[in-house]
Parts: sequence; C-alpha cells; structure tokens
Amino acid sequence: MKRNHIIAIIGIALAVGAILSTLGDASTYVTFGQADNDPGEVYTVIGTLDTTRPMEFDARNQRFTFYALDKHGDTRQVVYNQPKPQDFERAEEVTMKGKSQDDYFVAEEILMKCPSKYNDGKAIANAEEVYYD
Amino acid sequence: MEYIGEHLLPGELGRSFTILAFVFAGLAVFAFSLGRNTVESHWNKLGKFSFLIHSISVFSLIACIFYILIQHYFEYDYAWKHSNLDLPMRYILSAFWEGQEGSFLLWTFWHAILGIVLVFFGPKTWKAPVLAVVSLVQLFLVSMVLGIYPFDIKIGSSPFVLIRDLPENIGLPWTQMKNYLGRIPAFMDGKGLNPLLQNYWMTIHPPITFLGFASTLIPFAFAIAALWTKRYTEWLKPVLPWAYFSVMILGTGILMGGAWAYEALSFGGFWAWDPVENSSLVPWLTMVGAAHLVILHRNKGGTLKSAMVLCILSFLMILYSTFLTRSGILGDTSVHAFVDLGLSGQLLIYLFFFIALALFLFALRYKHLPKTIKEDDFWSREFWMFVASLVLLASAFQISFTTSIPVWNALFGPEGFIPLMSSEMAPPLDAVSHYNSFQIPFALIIALLLATGQFLRYGKTEPKRFLKSLGLSAAISLTFALLLGWYLDFFSDPLLFLLLFASLFAVIANADFWRRKMRTKFGWAGASIAHMGFGLVLLGALISTGKQNIISENQTFIAKDFPQNENLLMELDDTLRLGNYLVSWRGERIEGNYRYYDVEYMSSNEQGEIKTDFTLSPSILINESMGNSPEPDTKHYLEKDIYTHITYAPLEEEYVSPDGFSNEAQAEMQVGDTAILAQSFVILDSLDHTLVDGEDGQIEEVIVEALLTIVHIDGRNYKARPKYIMRGQDVYYEDFVVEEPGLKFQFAEIKPEENIMVIKSWRKAEDEKPFIVLKAVVFPMINLLWLGSVLMAFGSGMAVYNRIKIQKKTVS
Repeated sequence: MKRNHIIAIIGIALAVGAILSTLGDASTYVTFGQADNDPGEVYTVIGTLDTTRPMEFDARNQRFTFYALDKHGDTRQVVYNQPKPQDFERAEEVTMKGKSQDDYFVAEEILMKCPSKYNDGKAIANAEEVYYD
Repeated sequence: MEYIGEHLLPGELGRSFTILAFVFAGLAVFAFSLGRNTVESHWNKLGKFSFLIHSISVFSLIACIFYILIQHYFEYDYAWKHSNLDLPMRYILSAFWEGQEGSFLLWTFWHAILGIVLVFFGPKTWKAPVLAVVSLVQLFLVSMVLGIYPFDIKIGSSPFVLIRDLPENIGLPWTQMKNYLGRIPAFMDGKGLNPLLQNYWMTIHPPITFLGFASTLIPFAFAIAALWTKRYTEWLKPVLPWAYFSVMILGTGILMGGAWAYEALSFGGFWAWDPVENSSLVPWLTMVGAAHLVILHRNKGGTLKSAMVLCILSFLMILYSTFLTRSGILGDTSVHAFVDLGLSGQLLIYLFFFIALALFLFALRYKHLPKTIKEDDFWSREFWMFVASLVLLASAFQISFTTSIPVWNALFGPEGFIPLMSSEMAPPLDAVSHYNSFQIPFALIIALLLATGQFLRYGKTEPKRFLKSLGLSAAISLTFALLLGWYLDFFSDPLLFLLLFASLFAVIANADFWRRKMRTKFGWAGASIAHMGFGLVLLGALISTGKQNIISENQTFIAKDFPQNENLLMELDDTLRLGNYLVSWRGERIEGNYRYYDVEYMSSNEQGEIKTDFTLSPSILINESMGNSPEPDTKHYLEKDIYTHITYAPLEEEYVSPDGFSNEAQAEMQVGDTAILAQSFVILDSLDHTLVDGEDGQIEEVIVEALLTIVHIDGRNYKARPKYIMRGQDVYYEDFVVEEPGLKFQFAEIKPEENIMVIKSWRKAEDEKPFIVLKAVVFPMINLLWLGSVLMAFGSGMAVYNRIKIQKKTVS
C-alpha cells in the first residue's frame, strides 16, 4: 500500500471522528418541560415571547426577566443575567440556551429572530457568549 | 389604468436587460460547447460575442437598479425596501446588495468581469470550454433574478417589481388608486437601509467577498473543461494564477468581514464560528489545498485527481454556502442569514445540477486520468504538501459538518425525509470550544508544515541537512515562544503553547527561508510572505482571543449558578477601576441619529497624579423602524486594543407614579411558588382568608391576604402582606409597602380556576443618577492578525503576478 493511501485512510478516520464527536457535542432542541426533568443541565429551548406577561429589566443589577412560551405552549419565566437585548420586544422567536432552575429558566445566551424588517432576519442578543473568540 | 407619478421606464429596461442577459448566457453556453475543441472557429466567435452581450446586459441591468435607487423611485419594491430619502450616496452601494436579488447580481457581475478577462486574455486553447462552464453558471444565476411565473412556478425574484404588483398587494383597494404614490404617505419614503450596514466596512467587504466567491468559479471551470475536453494535465498551468487569485481575494474578504465585525459590530471579537462566516471559510480552505496541489503537480507530477477534486469542491462549497445562507435553513442558528425569498427549490436544483455534472464527468473520465506510479519519499516536499492539503480538507470537513446541522435535521430529523433521529439536533451549546477542539490541532499541524515545508526539497531531502537548516529558526522560535508564553501566561494550556510556538516557527522559518533562498529572486518571495502572513494571522488570533481580558467584569455576586456578568454599570462622572485604567463616563452627545457616550480612560502615575490616556465614544444608532444598534469604539495601540461598547443605556425615562414607585412588574403564582420581582426572589408562602360579616349577618367583605417572603438582593429577608378585598361586586386592593428596600406589592388578581394569584410589584424610584452599562475588553497583540492579513494578501498577490509572468514568458 502506498504511503499516500495510508494518509488518506487516516484522513477518513479523522473525518469519522469529527462526525462522531459532533454528534456527541450537539445538543437537542427541547421544551421547558424536558429541561425541567434535568435541572442544571444546559439545553436549548426555542420559544416565543409571552406578551401577556411583563418583562422587566433591572439595569442596576443587570437582570432581565421575561416570560416565554415553548413549542408546547408552556410558559416559563426566563432570567437572563445580561443587559436587555436591543429591541427584544420585537422578537418573533427566541432561542434560549440555558438551564432549568427551581421554577424558572436561567438563560446564558439568547438569540432572537426579528420580523423581516430586518433584512438580516436576526439580531444578536448575547454578544458576549456567541461572539466571543 | 394609467398611474400618476410612476417611472416605469427603468423597470421595463431592467427587465429587458435581464432577459437579454439570460438569453445570451444560454447562447454563449451553446456556442462555446460546440466550439470547445477549437481555437478560433465561428462557434468560438459567436460564443465570445454572446458572452460580451450577456455581460453588457448584466451591467446595464445593474445600472437600472442604481438609477432607481438614486432617483428614489419608491414605487419599486427594491428601492422602497432598501433605501430612503435620507440615505447618503455612499451607502447606495450597500442598498444595492442588501437584498438577495442585488447580492445575486453582484456575484453575477464579478463572474461577468472575470469572464471578460478570460475572453480577452485567457489561454487560447482553453477559452471555449472554460467560458462554456462560466456561461452555464451565469445562466443559472441570471435565472435567480428573472422573476417570471411560467405554469405558476416562481423562477427567480426580480428587483424591478413594483410594490403594487407584489403578490401580497394584488387586489388591495389602493392599487386601484391612480395617484396612490401621491396620496399614501407610506410611499413617499422608503424603509431605509439596515443601520448595521451603514458603515464604511460594509461598502467594501461584501464586494470583495463576492469577488472571492466568484473567483472560485474559474478553477472549477478549468477542471470541468479538462475532464470534458480530455486534456487532463494541460489545464494546471493556466489555472495556477486563478487559484492563487481566489486564495487571495477570498481570504481578504473573510478577514475583512472579521475586521468589520470587530470594528463596527458589538460581537466583541472578530470571529465567532457563525455559520455564515464558516461557509466562506470552508471554500477558502479547500481552495488553498487546491492551489497547493496544482503547484505540486506542476513541479512534480502526481496528485492530479486530488487537485481536480479540490478545485471542483471549492466552487461546489460556494454553491452550498449560498444555499445555506439564502434558503433560510440556518434561521435558528445564524445571525446573518437572509430571509427566504421562496427560492430554496431553485437554489437546490442549481446545487444538485453542478454536483451531478461534476460527478458525472469525473466518473466518465476516471479511467483515463493519468495515474501516479512512483511513491513519494518521506523526506520530500510533495509528501508533506499532500498531507497539508488533506489536513486542510479535514478541517473544512469538520467545520462544514457542524455548520450543516440544520441540514441534517431537514434530512434526518423527526420531520425530515428519512426520519432517523427522534428529536432535532441543536448546534453544540458551546460552539466556540467545539470548533476549537478540532481546529486548534489542525492549525497546529498546518503551522508546523508551514514552517518546515519550504525547507524540504521536491524528490528527496537529506534529513540532516533539513534539520540543520531549520535549527536556527526553531531555536529562535522556541525562545520567543517561551518569553511570550511566560509574559502572557500560556503555560497552563500545553496545546495553546504548542500553537504559539508553531505559529512563531511558521513566521520565523519562512522569513529565514526568504533570507536564504529568495532574496535574489524577488518574484518568488510571494510564497514566503504569504506563509509568514498566515503564521502571523494564527499568532494574532491565538494571542488576542486566547488572552483577551474582559476588564469590565462585574464583581457583584448575584446568585449561585448565575453566569458571571461581563458588563459594568457606570454612573455619570463616577470613576471605576477597569483593569489598569480608571474609567469615567463623562456624558452623552447626540449627533444625527447617533448617541455617543464619552468614556474617559485615565491612569495614575507613581506620584499619584491622574492623567487622561484617551477617550472612547461608543455609540448607539437610533433607528425607529429597524431597531437601535450599538457600535463599539476601540483605542488602538501597537501592542493592544481597548475595545468598549455600550450594552445598555436607558433611552427613555421610566414612568414614575405619584407615590414615587416605578418599575411595575407582575408575576402569576401559586402558593409555594417563587418569582423574581423587583430584584428579589418573592415566595408566596400562603394565603390568609378573612370574612367580614355585615350588620345583616351577610358576608360583606372577603379579604384575601398574600403572605409573601422577599429574599432581597441585600441578603435580608422581608415579609409583605398585600390584600385583595372583595366587597360585593367590587374589588379593592390594599398595597403593602416594604419601607426599607423600598418595595411595594399588590395582590392584583385571583384566578380561581387555575388557582393562580397575580402579584404586582414596584420599586421606589430613587433620584437616580444617569448611568450606562458597558463592556470593555483588552485584546492583546491583535495587530499581528491585521499585519498577517495584509502580508497574506500581498504575498498571494505576488504569487499571482509571478505566475502570470512565467506564463507569458513560456508563451512567447
């Protein structure tokens, strides 16, 4: 067997390794209920803003709380320990990465999708987490 | 019906040019295909003529869009959506490609330009088949802006659609008004350009990036032409300058995107492994591999198939990226994907067509492709160059695989074509560390090969000599790495330290190589310079992100398990210590749509005197219709940057009720629940009922009292007992004020069916000083990254120039 073939096989092995580890690293989209089953574990929840409930931003302590509805229609208070994202009220869809804690959801990172007025479709909410590095 | 005030001519012209561009691209495909094996046949001439007409039509159609934008003809949807009367002229360019149609046209435009270069200066024997492929791609691209509906199937989306002709507006009453433009205020001004794009970077970055995208077409077209016309090795020489050109432009475009993100967006960095960034990085990686394999074959033979595959793959990856970013499939995972225009199907057909074409030709010709007979020596440059290309491919593959998670969901998710997975995959929760865990080792290997590769000879190298010639650079690099590692604290992470050494080694060994071998041959220095540049990019990226220091880290403890806050609240004229600086917010200025916040950075010397070092003015761009967007400001020093951006600033006054309480909030609770209200955890312990009998013995009043425990941020617990009073049909509230932390609670509602109590809270409005919340980061040595980018572009440019010169020499 030629050396180049051996190298190619190593390459393929690497690729398979990459797939397997990606599958391992990948998380799943869950509902609040599923996140509750495993408090403290980090999950991604996609939901919408519950506009019937208040959102509050405490600037002094930089704590932003709001209510979100997940895909099953369950509503949950979400606590976000960061400044309130710009134009959060306009978000059509909110992707929250975080964990369930007591009876609320602590979001570490929030991505929001705004109406199509944004040509870009989305505005980044949590600059720190997503755009770090 | 005749409408008043419409300007239909530019639109009609534009549509005619679109059709001309489409038809003549088709004609060019046809003529060039028939003339593919000839040099100056009639078919060939017809092909060139058609391609030129096609190109002129593309330019004219773009000119029509510009005319509409400049004249503010808001009856056109494109002008209305992407510009307004206030838009400065310099952003008309951004308005042009803000929409999908415009960006397709920008891409088409560059293809046309590159095609014209080929028509006039391309290698004679290759013009016809290569231009046939280019024209075929153009045919598909122009179809994306056709905007016709044969048999109710949407083909393309035209930038010349009038608002009244949009499908969603047809039949609306105002479309029947003759003078709707003059009567309806909405049409008097456009919606304007996304404020994020109103930035000078945004006028140069996308054109360069699209030129980069377009440049990958030429190596692809050459590879396809080679398979098609069965001239399997001749194409490698003329393709070389094009491959290097692509490496240079695509690389510059990617790094410019990083510079834009760093300077103008509030990401706090230049690279985020965002799917859109990734999808331009992947074709660059494969193109770098392709260019090196081509040069390898030129010098040594072999690797023909791999060179072909990578040339083809680079362009296919560009198509795939286009599909990812424009079909809306990235919707949940990316920041800057486009909205879906209903063209996903067409894009998919486009993608599959070219994949099928490449696979078909490759399979058809595979048997005839020349085989490599001899084996590469272990101590040879060709062996390690091949390894490097494979590493690049592996790196591209890994990035692509993770970026494609939404595609895997669409294919194999619970609602996909083949439902293999029980639930949808989400991207890795910590994307950065996921990518880094692969890409850092890859970068390490690449950097080491970059350092050593040039010192290996083609054929066979004497190992001792090789090691000897590298010894000095290795020793210098190690010394620098140890010093830098000690200074910047890199020893805690051996992998990062190795990368620090390897990238330094890449820089120094290439400088040494240039000094020894290339000083006299100026034209050949391109490779060394580009390699040094890449080493510097790695070094700069490693140090500036690995050792970035968020100096605004908030020290306040909020609760356990809460992520540490990287933002700091700053009151007007208060001085806070941020890293080595004393920082004050000095006030707010309003200029146009911008609100600037002047933040003064000071430092004290040994005598204790405080002097101002610099003032930064991060800003917020106020935009009613599209949302406000913050823009950072950065102080650049030679060895570090201090980056500052406003994460929050109160833009409106908070409503304060007459009793001095504000910040109303409410929570729905059941007994035993905890809610977060007014900066505190509020627990509804129990309810207390009291019935008050009236004089007639009937129940006159029902008083329900909520017993609340308030766990305040000051660490103390308080009790509150707001009352909900029902008297007959009426409801009264008795609010409860907790004086000490200044909170007021109201028992606002009872929902008996769900057993839910609604509690409202207010906080005492203090005479608050104005404040802002900011984030400040020190990025050490980020200038190495920019210096490296410039060197890389310059070095690749030299390589392109050198290759063109060599070709001219051998031709004449």
